[in-house]
Amino acid sequence: MNKLSLLKLYLIFVKVGAILLGGGYVILPILTDEFVDRRKLVERDILVDYYALSQSLPGIVAANISMFLGYKLRGKFGALAAMLGVITVPFFCITILASLLAKLVGNTYVNGIFWGVGIAVIALIMLTVREIWQNSRRNGFFYLIFLSSLTALLIFRLPPIETIILFTCVGVLLQKLGGKK
Amino acid sequence: MIYLRLIWEFFKIGLFSFGGGYATIPFLYHISGEYGWYSIEELKHMIAVASVTPGPVGINVATYAGIQTAGIFGAVLATVSEMLPSLVLVIIVSKLLRKFSENFYVRAIIASLKPISCALLTAVAVGLLKPSLGDIKGLILLGILLLLSWKSKKSPLFYMLISAIAGCILAVLH
Repeated sequence: MNKLSLLKLYLIFVKVGAILLGGGYVILPILTDEFVDRRKLVERDILVDYYALSQSLPGIVAANISMFLGYKLRGKFGALAAMLGVITVPFFCITILASLLAKLVGNTYVNGIFWGVGIAVIALIMLTVREIWQNSRRNGFFYLIFLSSLTALLIFRLPPIETIILFTCVGVLLQKLGGKK
Repeated sequence: MIYLRLIWEFFKIGLFSFGGGYATIPFLYHISGEYGWYSIEELKHMIAVASVTPGPVGINVATYAGIQTAGIFGAVLATVSEMLPSLVLVIIVSKLLRKFSENFYVRAIIASLKPISCALLTAVAVGLLKPSLGDIKGLILLGILLLLSWKSKKSPLFYMLISAIAGCILAVLH
């Protein structure tokens, strides 16, 4: 296996970032095509493992799996090159669009589009909940943590980070006690 | 000063968000209420634009929020700060791949994060839905989108596109 240069690795990830539409949902097929089928740099199984790991870590799934792959190929700097590569094109797209968009707000059609997309965002958030829900073992513990953190958020207006820290501690403690039985 | 705050807030998002790009929305929502760097309406626009441009949605929306808050320099800081915790975690986890997923605390933390993420997202969905409750057309569109997703999950782009077209048509008819 030829060692990939850092620049080459960066450039491959620039391409991945440029054709990545739809985020974490579509990155696996793109990476498989680029790194498994075309360049034979990693095995398919390893990539699938990385995908599962990326989903179980905090942060952005698409960025996590890119960094895992970068690390596998070229160590720490490989992870950094992958991270910078995957955000290069999106960064410029957003920067340009942000300045254009300010001028478009107020236009009837643009407002119509934003109204529609606002509804789609609500649907997408609900679908994200459904996906995590389906990928979890839903036992008494799951429902207990879900309902108590929801109560804290909606009724007691606890901010997100505080909620996460509090209920992660509660969750770990509960499992520690439960495991000893 | 605003730069430091920006770095800190987005670093926390990178460290605590769990479940992909849309899971960062509860934090962005909270930031809007706490610091007023952008309004909820602007946040909706940002999510829309982030979803239809190439790249990971969670990163795009951080870039956009950074621009809104402190210009291009803010965009660089927000984007990089959000990815920094992941970079460190990925390097650590890569080194102890096997041991990591078998560790009791790691598993207990992940098992707790799942229901908490569901609660965070549900709370945001409730917050976003409240102003739309009087909007019959909006509720119908939401119902249609959820129905479409019932059988098979589609790319986020698919829902965005349908809704954008629906919004455009309704604007013309109005």
